[in-house]
Amino acid sequence: MSSSEPSANPVSPASTSTDAELIVLLRQGQTAALGVLYDRHASLVYGIALHTLGNAQEAEDLTQDVFLTLTTKATYDPERGALRTFLAILTRSRARDRLRSRHNTRQTLERWRLGKPPESVANAPLEHAFQQEQSQEVKTALAQLSDQQQQILQMAYYEGLSQTEIATQLGIPLGTVKARARRGLLKLRETLTQLIPQ
Amino acid sequence: MPSDELQLIMAGYILGDLSPEEAAALEELLRQDPAIAQEMANLQAALELSHNPPAVPPPPHLRSALLAKAQPVSLPVTSSPPPVARPRFPRSWRTGLELAAAGLIAALAINNYRLEQALQTRQATQPDAAVTYVLDATKPNSPASATVVVNPTTLEATLSVKNLPPLPPGKVYALWTVLKPNAPFTTDEKAAILTDVFQVDAAGNFAKTIPVPHAYRTQEIVVKVAVTIEDSQAPQKHVGNPIMITGL
Repeated sequence: MSSSEPSANPVSPASTSTDAELIVLLRQGQTAALGVLYDRHASLVYGIALHTLGNAQEAEDLTQDVFLTLTTKATYDPERGALRTFLAILTRSRARDRLRSRHNTRQTLERWRLGKPPESVANAPLEHAFQQEQSQEVKTALAQLSDQQQQILQMAYYEGLSQTEIATQLGIPLGTVKARARRGLLKLRETLTQLIPQ
Repeated sequence: MPSDELQLIMAGYILGDLSPEEAAALEELLRQDPAIAQEMANLQAALELSHNPPAVPPPPHLRSALLAKAQPVSLPVTSSPPPVARPRFPRSWRTGLELAAAGLIAALAINNYRLEQALQTRQATQPDAAVTYVLDATKPNSPASATVVVNPTTLEATLSVKNLPPLPPGKVYALWTVLKPNAPFTTDEKAAILTDVFQVDAAGNFAKTIPVPHAYRTQEIVVKVAVTIEDSQAPQKHVGNPIMITGL
């Protein structure tokens, strides 16, 4: 899938380069590395964008935005975590920003048109829609996790909160947050083995 | 299967919460057992399958549109290499390197700034007045041409030659600066100063920036600029006659 064996000569981007190697090359100015990263991860980004925003035009816009961010900002640290995780969290976050501003624009228009006070609208109704679309296998796998493990994984991956933020919000030690998230993921991997293409 | 502790670290990488010490341990693990990468891909897939909507390939035009927009940019790379390459430095040492690097970069920036200031000052007091010498071939119907564009202030010139035939082994082209008789500069018996020697490429061309004699500061003193063919071992003997010269 994403990372594979390191290439023998990480001086130019190759389809066998790891994500970390490609990011390093990209930051050294080798734009060709972006093409390889796009080929690997665009479907992940576009899938999240399309699901959250509900239309292709905005989803395309956001996908481009996310990949361009890789070339203009050095926020992603290849030593801290996987690129795919960073991309998923970034895409969701930017999609939500766009939903919020779309909602605000709509509210402003409403206010002008009808002279009514705006109603509060759930920020991302599509988020809940996804939960219902989950396959039975995924629901079963998630059910194997403790409530705390599920919650922490949601907060970390779905909402993009840092471990420290989670620890603060839940009032539990940082070490506990890390352990629960990690054990939760290991458990998911174990249960979903049959479903994952090898 | 790696130990429980290492499995937790692998999960931590996929979740993006690895500490530097854990990153070092993971790097070591990957070096010993590259098959671990497959297991990490499985963890990534498990996370995505359980939390993401399905992946959807974007329309084909998006790729070229993106690459057209992406400009090559230089960004700070993490000072230590990615976790599948060489050994990393411990964090405190890395911070020390980063500070040292930052200091070096700052020092270079200051030097460049000073150099630029100095150049600007120089140009303000001694305005550039480039003098161009155009040389024609002495042989009729020869396509050969040459120019020497001199900056009298810096005593640098751009020599540019076209369509001169490549020479046989042992021969070389020589560029001469010919001065007015009795000029207060050292010259040979032909009142000339050997200014450059060169060979042309297969197409008969040559270009280079060369230093030129002080005589160029006093323009009336330079009466001719010429090219001859000389023995490559002793071009200063000045045995050849001009094959190219100014003022024809």
